[in-house]
Amino acid sequence: MSEATDRHVAHVLLAAFILPGVTAGPAWSAPITFNTALPVAQGEFLFREQLISNRSGDDPGTLDRKRTANAAVSVLGYGVSGKLAVFGALPYRDNTLRLTTGGQRVSRSASGFGDLTVFGRYTLVQHDRPGRNFRIAPFAGIKAPSGDDDQRDTQGVLPASVQVGSGSWDPLFGIVTTYQTLDYQLDAQLGYQVNTQANDFEAGDVARLDGSLQYRLWPRTLGSGLPAFLYGVIEANLVYQQKNRINSRSDPDSGGTRLFLTPGIQYVTRRWITEAAVQVPVLQDLNGDALENDYIARISIRFNF
Amino acid sequence: MNKRIALVIMSMLWSAMTFAAGTEYRMRVDGLACPYCAYGIEKKLKAIDGVGKIDVNLNEGLVIVDVAEGTRLTEPQMKKLFQDSGFTYRSMTETPLDGDAGK
Repeated sequence: MSEATDRHVAHVLLAAFILPGVTAGPAWSAPITFNTALPVAQGEFLFREQLISNRSGDDPGTLDRKRTANAAVSVLGYGVSGKLAVFGALPYRDNTLRLTTGGQRVSRSASGFGDLTVFGRYTLVQHDRPGRNFRIAPFAGIKAPSGDDDQRDTQGVLPASVQVGSGSWDPLFGIVTTYQTLDYQLDAQLGYQVNTQANDFEAGDVARLDGSLQYRLWPRTLGSGLPAFLYGVIEANLVYQQKNRINSRSDPDSGGTRLFLTPGIQYVTRRWITEAAVQVPVLQDLNGDALENDYIARISIRFNF
Repeated sequence: MNKRIALVIMSMLWSAMTFAAGTEYRMRVDGLACPYCAYGIEKKLKAIDGVGKIDVNLNEGLVIVDVAEGTRLTEPQMKKLFQDSGFTYRSMTETPLDGDAGK
């Protein structure tokens, strides 16, 4: 039970990392929890490094599981044209699962580079007006199994929730929209990731709806020139995952719905952006003994070159 | 040493004189809404020979560019440049930097 549940949690968390990791047109401030709205001009590169700490506990089962998943996600974007951009996201992961089994507290951990996600985004609709813009852009890509999915410790092969890679090729697609004015910016993303089978395990597909509001707190009034902006940020992330399949059988302790509310802050200059946010779970309707999230903290820096 | 200082000063004066005889372009660009918008635009404009000072005024949606004598920015060129940067070029005016009335 524990391994199956652990695997499902790992894949929910992986998806929660990866879709945001890949999700990032030209230059606006962009959300913190997803990368599909990231702006990059033709012939320019964009780099974002995001540190993520994901804590899970409150185990509904008897194993008293506590999971810590830390990641440094590097995102590189390139503007092929004013409308087409391509992105790659590679995480470095450090995962630890603590649980009680056989009356003893056990800790299992793994670290290393995780799965690489690449995707392209094409701006289909672009409306620009003085001091404001609006974009709609579909995106599509794939998560490649570049991370180890067979790491072991003294107790044997690690459960999927601890592995840094999934072992599967997982296509993803969706659509992202941005509306930006001088005072605020709104972004929304609808995404879907098809998780495929690897090692007799198939994580449930993940559908997600993300929204972000960035409101300029400073300067309160705009004069001439090009001042730096301080934005207050509030985001919402609704994530639904189907049940996992183990040896082609559905795992009842997997899948479900999570809703996060994410307050944050963002400092935007001409050349770089730094930001921080905490995803707080406000709804977790999970199947069986799935492990609940405590919080996900994010801090990142981004620049164009 | 004195010769070097004299050369630097002469170089600066020559540069100032060149731009003083140049042109100021004021371009109206739609879609500019945050400081981060400016970087890609500035980088592309600076890649054009003869481009000097660049000012972006977000509040008015203006990009103001000073160019040296002999350098000319054209509407098709600017339309493509801003399109590649992800924004929409609308119009421009040009004014000689020596203060004479321009177009």
